[in-house]
Amino acid sequence: MSVEIEIHRHRLANGLEVVVAPDRALPVVAVNLWYGVGSRNERPGRTGFAHLFEHMMFQGSKHVAKNGHFEAVERAGGSLNGSTWFDRTNYYETLPSHQLDLALWLESDRMGWLVDAMTQEKLDNQRDVVKNEKRERYDNQPYGDWMERMQRLVWPHGHPYRHTVIGSMEDLDAADLDDVKDFFRTWYVPNNAVLTIAGDVDPADAFDRVERWFGEIPPRGGAATGGAGAGRIAAGATAPVAVPMERPAREVVESDVPLVRVFIGLRIPPFTDPAFDAVDVAAGVLGSGRAARLYARLVRPGVVRDAFAFPFPLVGGASILLVGATGFADSDPEVVERALVEQLESLPDLDGTEVERALALEEARAARQLERLEARADRLSMYTCLLDRPERVNEDLDRLRALTVEEVRDAAGRWFAAPGRATLVYVPISEGEAD
Amino acid sequence: MLDRTHAPPPGPLRAFDFPPSTLTRLPHGVALEVVHLPRLPLATAILVLRAGEDRLPTDRGGLAVLAGDALEGGTDELDGHAFAEALESIGADLDVSTGWDVTTVSLSCLADRLPRALELLASLVRTPAYPEAEVRRARDGQLARIRQRDMNPGSRAGTWAARTLYAAGEPYARSALGDADGVGALGRDAVVGFAEAYYRPAGAALVVAGDVDAGEVEALAARVLDGWVGGDGVPDAPAGASAGAERRAVVVDRPGAVQSEIRVGHVGAPRGIEDRVDLVVGNAVLGGTFSSRLNLNLRERHGFTYGVRARWSWRRGPGPFLVGTAVDTDVTADAVREIFSEIERIHAEGPTAEEVEQARDYLAGVFPLRLESTAQVAARVAERHVFELAGDHWATWRDRIRAVTAESARAALRRHLRPEALQCVVVGEADAVARDLASLDVGPVGVVDR
Repeated sequence: MSVEIEIHRHRLANGLEVVVAPDRALPVVAVNLWYGVGSRNERPGRTGFAHLFEHMMFQGSKHVAKNGHFEAVERAGGSLNGSTWFDRTNYYETLPSHQLDLALWLESDRMGWLVDAMTQEKLDNQRDVVKNEKRERYDNQPYGDWMERMQRLVWPHGHPYRHTVIGSMEDLDAADLDDVKDFFRTWYVPNNAVLTIAGDVDPADAFDRVERWFGEIPPRGGAATGGAGAGRIAAGATAPVAVPMERPAREVVESDVPLVRVFIGLRIPPFTDPAFDAVDVAAGVLGSGRAARLYARLVRPGVVRDAFAFPFPLVGGASILLVGATGFADSDPEVVERALVEQLESLPDLDGTEVERALALEEARAARQLERLEARADRLSMYTCLLDRPERVNEDLDRLRALTVEEVRDAAGRWFAAPGRATLVYVPISEGEAD
Repeated sequence: MLDRTHAPPPGPLRAFDFPPSTLTRLPHGVALEVVHLPRLPLATAILVLRAGEDRLPTDRGGLAVLAGDALEGGTDELDGHAFAEALESIGADLDVSTGWDVTTVSLSCLADRLPRALELLASLVRTPAYPEAEVRRARDGQLARIRQRDMNPGSRAGTWAARTLYAAGEPYARSALGDADGVGALGRDAVVGFAEAYYRPAGAALVVAGDVDAGEVEALAARVLDGWVGGDGVPDAPAGASAGAERRAVVVDRPGAVQSEIRVGHVGAPRGIEDRVDLVVGNAVLGGTFSSRLNLNLRERHGFTYGVRARWSWRRGPGPFLVGTAVDTDVTADAVREIFSEIERIHAEGPTAEEVEQARDYLAGVFPLRLESTAQVAARVAERHVFELAGDHWATWRDRIRAVTAESARAALRRHLRPEALQCVVVGEADAVARDLASLDVGPVGVVDR
């Protein structure tokens, strides 16, 4: 059973890539923007800035009051948010379809006229909000710094994936209003963005409306007109690194955590590499579902409390596969680590039944992901921005189905069982403490 | 000329019909309802079992949740791993969820895999194996969740609100997860006994939504449920008696807390009340949306909080009506005062015609946004069965929302809000908040330290 999403594509004269995926089943529309900028585009001394900037995008623009964005969308019965990641920043609204213009008004106003509304006060305010977010979500959470530590283990000095999206307090403090303006002029340009509209719209009408709201915004900055969709993000990959890692790396952290937890990070080919497909399926054999190896062999028999494995879809030259497990109150960290390593090293003996199971799960989940328009629009933006190919949503399953068991085994051997892995072990300070 | 200075006006609200369905009754007493949704080749099935937490006495609290979670142990024929493998090899996801009213077992898969998936679902409910080790694993997981719940100030406030609102011995007076002592004492025998008694067809419902044919599903359901018997139908709903008819406040001491979790409310109304739609609109004005009175007051005018909401928990019996928020310690009493005053004001005066119109538009517009997936549609239909609502309940929902007037909303609020009986729970620093609270008209203030 294959899923076929109807896709229309158009590029405005200013370089904005527009994707429209009509689906008139419900009076609902999802609007989604990907800007081709993420934490890896930050300059030294300004880590965390892409994310701080995302917050500034909700502080009003020339014609929209501070907080007006949230208020207008919620009043209309919609939902909205934004997020910052290594390779991109996204913004999205889901609304009753008779409110499409509202979303286009809000998004075009901040793409065209954000700087008019920027003030020192707003920057200081959002800097505090982000610092609170960092304290709450990372600094004061058990294991909250795992990602930061893992990134330092996996990526060499100077690599753009070596620092976290949230950044450092020092760098956040150093950011000023000129940084905001520069960042906006460099990256928040129509020629570095993909706009997807999915749901209850007529494609011709939707393109007209987009032209009306976005057409007059001039292309700016160094990015040449041609659109983020022209695979520029991937092409801009810097700092080539060896895949897998040449040497193992490890760190043991004794800290105030409730339970032993072990993370293993492995370098894998980037999302844009055809080899990524086999990595994805092998990760499914290892960690997806309750019949997967990690659950069946470690969780169900009570060796560990929970376990996971998933690859990140990064595009900058290489990506990362994460595998991990949490023990019980009395677990020996070495036992947990060894159990995980054994599963990685034995993964190349996987068989056709296991691959079939992983594919069947992936097939159903991929279809289910397209049910919600918000997720559908995001995926279309992603594929346009990263691969210049929104049609990939209709091709994913065929590509995975075309893989042979040999190819999946080969991926398991080359990337999962590689000795060049980064190991991060959390050990509770006071032993015997209850979870 | 494009006017960017103001939000563009919305277009006309598009018509929307709740998808039609076919209802039949299977020989074993199970109601079967099938919704044809051909948008994607997917299907969701939800089996509603009359096995909710509300059937359990206080000292057995949490047993329904445990029996549901321990289904992970598989069936007499397929152990837990083999069962998971059988499901996943056809890409199916199975989820068991237990609440106050019922236990639901849900299945989600590609539509052409439904026959095998439903067969597995039926065998799990009819012949669960409940091996000792899996029951223990589920119990340990539940105990861990109970510990987490008790450490989180927000969920502690919820637990204390239940205890404060309801008379002792009422099921709703406890938490649906149970407590550590009670759950710790539950073993395999209790779980097996519960499933044998309540995973039964009388009063049960099976809802299937997706790219399926109603006739085929009926034949399939009749086959996989063949020979399934027993059960006592739909049990009486809890009475939900209040602990007291007068105002009272409880401060749950959390020394050093920088924020207070506040809950203000009383025993609410059952899901089945006639004027629920009027109450929903009235409550949206009070505290159900971003631009509600409570949020505009506490968040926008006073800056006390990031957000505040008023909620009616809809259950078979009268669930709690609660206003909930978190505020800085030093404005705790001020926030409580404002919450009381907004409840009193809307009870006395009712909402304005303009407020009602805005709330109606919001509720009518947002309704289809939560009907995108087969799982969401199936859940709505299952809800009708859980609460024994009319077959056209959702088909007429938008029209009924739009028929609400300022008068009807006001009447519903007057009927169901009881400002004189408000109970107030604050989880926070008692030394900093108890005295100020006592100076308000909130009734006697008690302090507890657990």
